[in-house]
Amino acid sequence: MKPAVSPQSLSSSKYLDRTVSKVKDGKDLAEYCIEFGEKIGAEYVEARFVNSSVRGLAFRNGAMISGGFTPSSGIGVRVLVDGSMGFASFDRLEKSIAEEAITTASKMAKNSKSKKPIDLGEPIANVAKWKMETKEPLNDVDIDTIMELCTEVNEQMKGLSSFVFIFNGNVIDKYLVTNEGTKIDSQLSYLLMYAIMTAQAKGGSEQKFLDLTLAGGWERIRESHFIENVKDEVKRLKKTTENAVKIEELMAQPIDMIVGPEVAGIIVHENVGHPSEGDRIMGREGAQAGESFWRDLKIGESRVGSDAVNVIEDPTIVKTSGHYEYDDEGVKARKRELIKEGIIHEPLLNREFGTKFGTGSNAAARATDFNREPIIRMANTYFEPGDYSLEELVEDVKLGVYMRSFTEWNIDDRRYQSKYTGSEAYLIKDGEITDTMVKKPVMETTSVGMLSAVDAVSKNLRFDFPGTCGKSDPMQGIPVYAGGGEIRFREIRLGGVG
Amino acid sequence: MIDADHLKTLGDIAIDYGSKKTDAIIARVVQTKNSQLRFSQNNIDISKIWEELKLELFVVIGEKTGTTDRPITSEDDVKKTIDDTVSFTKMLPDSMFFAGLEDKIQSYNKLKKQYDAKIDTFAEQAPELINSVIDKTMSAGAKRVAGALMLKKRYFFFRSSLGPEGSSRGTTFDLNVRALQDELDYSGQGLACGTIPSKSEKNMLEAGVKAGRLSKQAIGAVQGTPGTYDLILSPTVAANVLGSITESANPFYIMMGVSPLKDKMGEQIGPEFITAYEDSLFDGGLNSTPFDWEGSPGRTTRIIDQGILKSLVHNTTTSKMFDTETTGSSQMASLGIGMKMLLPGISNIVFDNGNYSQEELFDVDKPTIYVTCNWYSRTQNAQTGDFSTIPRDAMFLLNKGEMKPIKNMRISDNVLRMFANIDALGNDRTQVYWWEVPTPTVISTMRVRDCKMTAATQ
Repeated sequence: MKPAVSPQSLSSSKYLDRTVSKVKDGKDLAEYCIEFGEKIGAEYVEARFVNSSVRGLAFRNGAMISGGFTPSSGIGVRVLVDGSMGFASFDRLEKSIAEEAITTASKMAKNSKSKKPIDLGEPIANVAKWKMETKEPLNDVDIDTIMELCTEVNEQMKGLSSFVFIFNGNVIDKYLVTNEGTKIDSQLSYLLMYAIMTAQAKGGSEQKFLDLTLAGGWERIRESHFIENVKDEVKRLKKTTENAVKIEELMAQPIDMIVGPEVAGIIVHENVGHPSEGDRIMGREGAQAGESFWRDLKIGESRVGSDAVNVIEDPTIVKTSGHYEYDDEGVKARKRELIKEGIIHEPLLNREFGTKFGTGSNAAARATDFNREPIIRMANTYFEPGDYSLEELVEDVKLGVYMRSFTEWNIDDRRYQSKYTGSEAYLIKDGEITDTMVKKPVMETTSVGMLSAVDAVSKNLRFDFPGTCGKSDPMQGIPVYAGGGEIRFREIRLGGVG
Repeated sequence: MIDADHLKTLGDIAIDYGSKKTDAIIARVVQTKNSQLRFSQNNIDISKIWEELKLELFVVIGEKTGTTDRPITSEDDVKKTIDDTVSFTKMLPDSMFFAGLEDKIQSYNKLKKQYDAKIDTFAEQAPELINSVIDKTMSAGAKRVAGALMLKKRYFFFRSSLGPEGSSRGTTFDLNVRALQDELDYSGQGLACGTIPSKSEKNMLEAGVKAGRLSKQAIGAVQGTPGTYDLILSPTVAANVLGSITESANPFYIMMGVSPLKDKMGEQIGPEFITAYEDSLFDGGLNSTPFDWEGSPGRTTRIIDQGILKSLVHNTTTSKMFDTETTGSSQMASLGIGMKMLLPGISNIVFDNGNYSQEELFDVDKPTIYVTCNWYSRTQNAQTGDFSTIPRDAMFLLNKGEMKPIKNMRISDNVLRMFANIDALGNDRTQVYWWEVPTPTVISTMRVRDCKMTAATQ
């Protein structure tokens, strides 16, 4: 692929000048929001100016169906008034609009007469500037180069009965300022890419929705072997459609299940990451994303899995969608251990819930845009690697399934009853992964039932599940990564097959 | 809010300036002022307000098309937006999904019950109302109450360089109340939505009472037994699981391979007592509109007629592709984050009301499960309709004249098969809109034969 930067890119146009001017206006106005919020009596004021641009292209069966360039900017302000929280957002960078919105949000907060005043804990005053590593900034990439990539991706998908590819290059500049002294400049950069692939064979069709999101600059396309990965996924879907068969023997008795990093990723995200969110544990998402079965457990004492289960949440990993150095409340990011040897160890917390848990925030506050409040979110969630190779996991399995990827899944809103339906899956017999492909094996279990069945984790850590995680109302879809090595579950009774 | 004349001025500037640089251009200047109260654990957590003024554009240059939306304040902003969009569009290859726009100037229906002049005052007083909703929910049996009330006000001016022009204003509200006991397992949901919040306080309080009552009835729920059951789906569940069939009657979804209705036109896909419409003129519909994004007049289109798939929804492009007429369903839809596309899409899904009373629906002669709410529906394959979804909140097993609470089950079935197996339609038609039902759906309770229910194996 040719180098991406060229004079035709948008950064060389008048657009860049306007962006710089808007960023300056936005930062100035964010600082004015702090002044104004304090003036009208708020105990805490936080303003977040976000300036972003998205260039997108969409294709169906290789032909372009749409393209768009959408810049966006605005400010989101949180004010704490008499212990009640108010949030105001506006997209026109004008003082009068800011004043009106903040005043209204403050009034509404005051009128809500909170029975339980919010305490954000010790003041935080971090001053920093950071950005995601980008060798070739996305805004410097010309449209021809993006088209060339898309053409190459579409080439890989030829032969499928239908395919859709969507590319959105998204660069986000943020400026966070608070009346406690926090001032943080940051820049995020994502290549948001999705494919919907349908393969057809005699026995029917199979579909795969692929989230292919990368974080960083254009160089991530080459570094991640992106094209080769797409080619591989297409080959695997075709193979599954042509070869997978229903194997009744697997329903007759409990079997061993080994899942690949993609499936490990969705499991660790849904069955561990979500229930560890402090706002869910304490009920704040009660009517939306739900509560958490962790509510009735004791942190540091309650067992939810076997000794082999160790789960990490870490926003400090570079070149991932979950990467940040400071969260959207200005708290310095750090690694969190959600489960240690099967025992729940640490929930994900923002400042409000950090105070409620008595531990302080562990920097889990994220907001998807200027018009959303920062709430507790995952970043990069994974099963800590074990000592095994895949071959060692397989060698003493008499009868089992290797579920390399998944299709349909869901989990209840306490994050306790989950279902994962296999896409690419193989029969394991007498210590070997056979060529026999298993059609749609279903692992339908409880979180504790499943995690207690883990007896080994491989050393092959991969983040094979980039995803957009949805939570809250209004919805906030935020980029995350999840993964693990291969995980072995003993004595699983399948919920279905075929 | 900015006065309507100013929005028109900005829209006129966009068309006058943009039509010199494009073959066709549509501009919408949209101003919104929304607010929300979120509450949990019997307490308001946060009060939110949003103020936005945006210019949405669709441009045609030869065979190329481009879209954008962005905040504007002045004439300069409008011109810059057009310049950027034109420059970007010129760099693109020809679009394979464009065949024209509405070019006739037509009269539009006046919509009723779409605007509440008292919404600002209502928003100021909403915290008091929410505290009353919490009290009512508790009185009905809840120990803990959570939820959200969203209030929206919108005004927009629209003009196309091909002639159509119009403006519209509207208000909406939607309230979601969830009642919980101290235990995590026993909960109930109540919903209320509409367009005139200041005349809907009673509905909102009733949503709380319903949630509280269901939560109390769910106390003592036991693990359900997997198997095949007849299901009674509340309007909330019917809207998500079966209302989605109507939404799938979209040529774009069919072309993308994500609709189960390919090759089903003219076929009997449901019982004769099922008729469903795309109805952008529905009184009090959350998405009612006198005209679509291109300026085609809004209308009522029969999608499913007595169980037979009769029509898809169309905009000008897909109507030409399918050699038919537009159904006035053009929308500027989102594709991923930040990108938009002019596509057909349903405004309000409206089902005909049924004849069965609650008593008649629940008069069953074999084990039947009543599902009051569901979430997290996912398909295995959108073309075949294989899917599963999780009943959330109160769920009951009806057996031998008794109704007992059960929990922890999953509907794992096929949406086409379930649609064909609807065997009774309630007379309790209501509008549903919430997280799991993003397209407003007017629908009744439905009873469906022989559905597969599964549960965790360990």
